[in-house]
Amino acid sequence: MEMLNFIFDAASIAPGDFTGFTFFIGSVSMLAATVWFLMQHGQVDKKFKDSMLVAALITGIAAVHYFYMREQWVLDGSSPTELRYIDWILTVPLMVVEFALLTGVGMRKLFWASVVMLVAGYFGESGVTGMLDAQTWGAVSGLAYFWMAYEVGCLSIFGGPSGAVGNALASGSGKIPEAGRMLQWFVLVGWAIYPIGYMAGTDGWYAFVAIDEGAMNIIYNVGDAINKIGFGMAVWHAARS
Amino acid sequence: MNVVVKSKLAGLILAFAIIFFGLESSYSILLFLIVMLSIGIPHGSVDHIIAFINPKARKFNSKLIFYITYLSLIVFNIALWVISPFLGLLVFLIISCYHFGETQVIGYNPTDNKLLNFVVGANILLSLFLNNIVELQEILYIIPEFANLDLSAFDSVFFLLISVAILMLSIVNFEIKRKVLLYAEITILYMVFFHTDLLTSFALYFGFCHSLPMLMLEFEEFKNDNFIKFYLKTLPFTILSIIFGFLLYQFNNDLLTSDNLILFVFIIISSLTLPHVFIMKDFVKDK
Repeated sequence: MEMLNFIFDAASIAPGDFTGFTFFIGSVSMLAATVWFLMQHGQVDKKFKDSMLVAALITGIAAVHYFYMREQWVLDGSSPTELRYIDWILTVPLMVVEFALLTGVGMRKLFWASVVMLVAGYFGESGVTGMLDAQTWGAVSGLAYFWMAYEVGCLSIFGGPSGAVGNALASGSGKIPEAGRMLQWFVLVGWAIYPIGYMAGTDGWYAFVAIDEGAMNIIYNVGDAINKIGFGMAVWHAARS
Repeated sequence: MNVVVKSKLAGLILAFAIIFFGLESSYSILLFLIVMLSIGIPHGSVDHIIAFINPKARKFNSKLIFYITYLSLIVFNIALWVISPFLGLLVFLIISCYHFGETQVIGYNPTDNKLLNFVVGANILLSLFLNNIVELQEILYIIPEFANLDLSAFDSVFFLLISVAILMLSIVNFEIKRKVLLYAEITILYMVFFHTDLLTSFALYFGFCHSLPMLMLEFEEFKNDNFIKFYLKTLPFTILSIIFGFLLYQFNNDLLTSDNLILFVFIIISSLTLPHVFIMKDFVKDK
């Protein structure tokens, strides 16, 4: 019973606590998506099995962290920044891996880009290095993000140039080009919430972006759910053909 | 689904259950002992048979030479810990990095790339230790060079970031047949290491990602159709190891001037691991 309470205990969220509710919705939707992707794992073609497994892993890891984040939010109302970073550090590279699985190219470049993006973002937000300010680290992290967006072909949405991964997605077989376009939109629009959240949480020329913690967490929670589940759904779309 | 994957899945389910529902730290020693006694030690308790089962494996002229060599390595390692805990730890880390990595890559890549084996094992151990660094410093208080390191400026996210970054760079820079699945499994391990204490982390990793898959591969190698019969074969040396450990512990207060049970278990594990590594190196050659 205690176990069920831990998972389904929405009652402990205070009435009107919309942020807490989005943590709850985030956790259960990630869990549901994990079950769905695992069920679909047996249904898809062999070459997509690893992709479905990685999709399930992404949402599974996120589900675990959203349970913890919800608990922290409900217990003391503090923003669970550390847990969020743990979740991102583990899941962002796995999302990058999905591109490599679909196309068979670009893993090295995308991994490098995600290492730079995460490390610089963390250095800027935590100030652990004592060097450079948050906006400089943010700029480095942002550049890595734009490099990644270029590599996966986000600019090709508007007829612009594309990196090797984007080209491989466009020339893929079956529904890969269609799924690739969805993934590119996720990277371009969905992932844009992360730099917005960074700017909202650190000092810099972008001080006008500052919003309160509750609102920032809502943006992150909704964005995370859409990005992670949506990413998996796009891969599943390609796989079910 | 092969036995290695099945074994790891069992550990994964247990790990997720522990992370979801939480395990009181007072129970972690119990979990650790149960896993060590039921899976950890038994997976090395058939070394005396494994050493002679594979014709390509390292050859011992007789069982006597095998036992003398095997026991000498155990005694050598204990002596090393007594004379210089720093050297004892260093040897344990080096051989463990190689051994854990070698068994970790089974199913994802042939085990013949020694550098890859070492780097993968080092990744795992580094993450295990970094994520539980404060606990580890308390346990290894007899090594002041390590125990007195001031790491207070760094938080757990920083340590996790280092682990993941090293793993990513290792994965892209080595030729690995199934890169993604290896990366995915180690990512899960990182999550386990972050959310559980040192003993629970080690028990889950050592028990279900290392020992159980090896135990199942040994079972397959024995070509026994009954797992119970095979498991019974592991019991004599498992029991001997426990008796050996118990006797050493009685002796240990004078010898090691230490009453730290976890440190003691650490030394025992490292001593049993040293000869085991050489036997398993040949065993996993074609896996």
